[in-house]
Amino acid sequence: MIEVQGLVKRFGDFTALNHISFKAEEGEILGFLGPNGAGKTTTMRILTGYMPPTDGQARVAGFDVFEQSLQVRQRIGYLPELVRLYPDMTVRGYVEFVAEMRGLKNRRQRAEEVLEMVGMAHRAKSLIRTLSKGMRQRVGLAQALVHNPPVLILDEPTIGLDPQQVAELRTIIQQLGRQHTIMFSTHVLTEAEQVCDRVVIINRGNIVAEGRPDELREKVQDNTRVFVRIQGRFDEKKLLNMLNTLNGVEKSEAFQGGFVVTAKNNVEIRPSLAKAILEQGLNLLELRPLAITLEDIFLEYTRQ
Amino acid sequence: MRNIWTIFKREIRQYFVSPIAYLVAFAVLLLLGLSFNTDLDYRVANQLRPDATLVLSNFAFLMVFFAPLLTMRLFAEEAREGTLELLMTMPTRDVDLVIGKFLGAWVYYCVLLALTLVFEGALLSITNFGPEGFPLRSRVDIGQIIAAYIGIFLYGGATIAIGLMFSAMTENQIVAAFLSMAVLLMLWVGDIAGLVPASILSTEVVEALRVISLQSHYSSSFLRGLIVLEDMYFYIAIMVVSLFVTTRLVESRRWR
Repeated sequence: MIEVQGLVKRFGDFTALNHISFKAEEGEILGFLGPNGAGKTTTMRILTGYMPPTDGQARVAGFDVFEQSLQVRQRIGYLPELVRLYPDMTVRGYVEFVAEMRGLKNRRQRAEEVLEMVGMAHRAKSLIRTLSKGMRQRVGLAQALVHNPPVLILDEPTIGLDPQQVAELRTIIQQLGRQHTIMFSTHVLTEAEQVCDRVVIINRGNIVAEGRPDELREKVQDNTRVFVRIQGRFDEKKLLNMLNTLNGVEKSEAFQGGFVVTAKNNVEIRPSLAKAILEQGLNLLELRPLAITLEDIFLEYTRQ
Repeated sequence: MRNIWTIFKREIRQYFVSPIAYLVAFAVLLLLGLSFNTDLDYRVANQLRPDATLVLSNFAFLMVFFAPLLTMRLFAEEAREGTLELLMTMPTRDVDLVIGKFLGAWVYYCVLLALTLVFEGALLSITNFGPEGFPLRSRVDIGQIIAAYIGIFLYGGATIAIGLMFSAMTENQIVAAFLSMAVLLMLWVGDIAGLVPASILSTEVVEALRVISLQSHYSSSFLRGLIVLEDMYFYIAIMVVSLFVTTRLVESRRWR
């Protein structure tokens, strides 16, 4: 559905995108992750036909974003990062305006449907200027959905919302993912982990990682780390020395009131670790593998 | 085509909810009313012929200052507010966007122009259709009034197009308004360049200034009741060129 090949965007001397390539299949929810200023919005603006790329190719639903911009735009629903709507229009009036721009016939009915979908039907007659940020975000989503586009591009859709609104919006996105190809950007990692089928991590205009969240986790998890919490009287230095001499242990360090022990080459060290600690006459309170989150992956890839 | 209509409808609706549009209408009617009244008083007192086009020539001059107030928001506001981004990702050609906005503003201009019919009506009711023996000496020429309205209508299209161009040039509405006022004023006063002594301005320059003057193309033709094709083409050309430049300016936002 979305194919990006060697996309480059320069603003003067500044290279915002440096030959990035990625794909999103039909019906997939693609998370676009990166710190602020990584090039997320630029990529999305190119895909939506707002600005042309400096070099490279991008196709949406088989159409080139530059050569066949109007066809691409007709097939995309776009929610920009800052949802700016006309404050003097009513919610329904605005959605109908977008529907008309999109060339829909049954505008009134479609507007009511999408407002129902995003939970804004009860405010259909309100002026947009009277809405809260979260509500505007929903109206923004409604206008992106009004022509039932095959591709949805959402730029940081959950930014600035309260936790409940975020949860609701995520649910909406997940439901939409069944019929639409969705690309959404975020810098909230748990969000990407919960919602996305696949994740692309971008940093300073380069793609640094790509894959399913669990695939990415495996890539980073090259050696297992175990968290141990111990009760009893012990000398921290001696204990660390002891742990380090155990078979299969790469290193150990104090961490949040316990210790993190890293094993060499994925060796299972938990049994010997437990045994050694008990032999010292200490009580073992906790012994668990340290879960690697997308956060770790992200930090790993965007370091420097 | 379809999108021009959609944009047009939104813009015209916007004028009727915008305080600026009403303020402009109020100010224009007030100033025209004052000048109309003073002029009528004077003519009645001095037994002069009534002048049916005075309101229109005053209206045209006021538009040098008021048309920019109508056009300043068209692109500048959308660019500043960020609403332009969504608009520019709709399946619409940029030129349709420009034409839709232009037509919206021009039609609102025509609403203002139509309001001046009040004065023409008042004048006709005391001259052509007035009671016998009213002190105004002669009847007014309705054909001349019609020609004058056609001229001021076209002149308005040109001023609106120029204002629209400056609105697309900046994100600041005030800057857009002042730039277009300055340019419109210069184009308007070009007509009186002939008053400058030949030792300062050569006759060729004076002639050139008169040719591009917005005023000279209605004051010596439409306002006298003449419909001159050359002058019609002049205003149409100004509109086409301005709208073309505006389209390019809007397109250039994509490359920045």
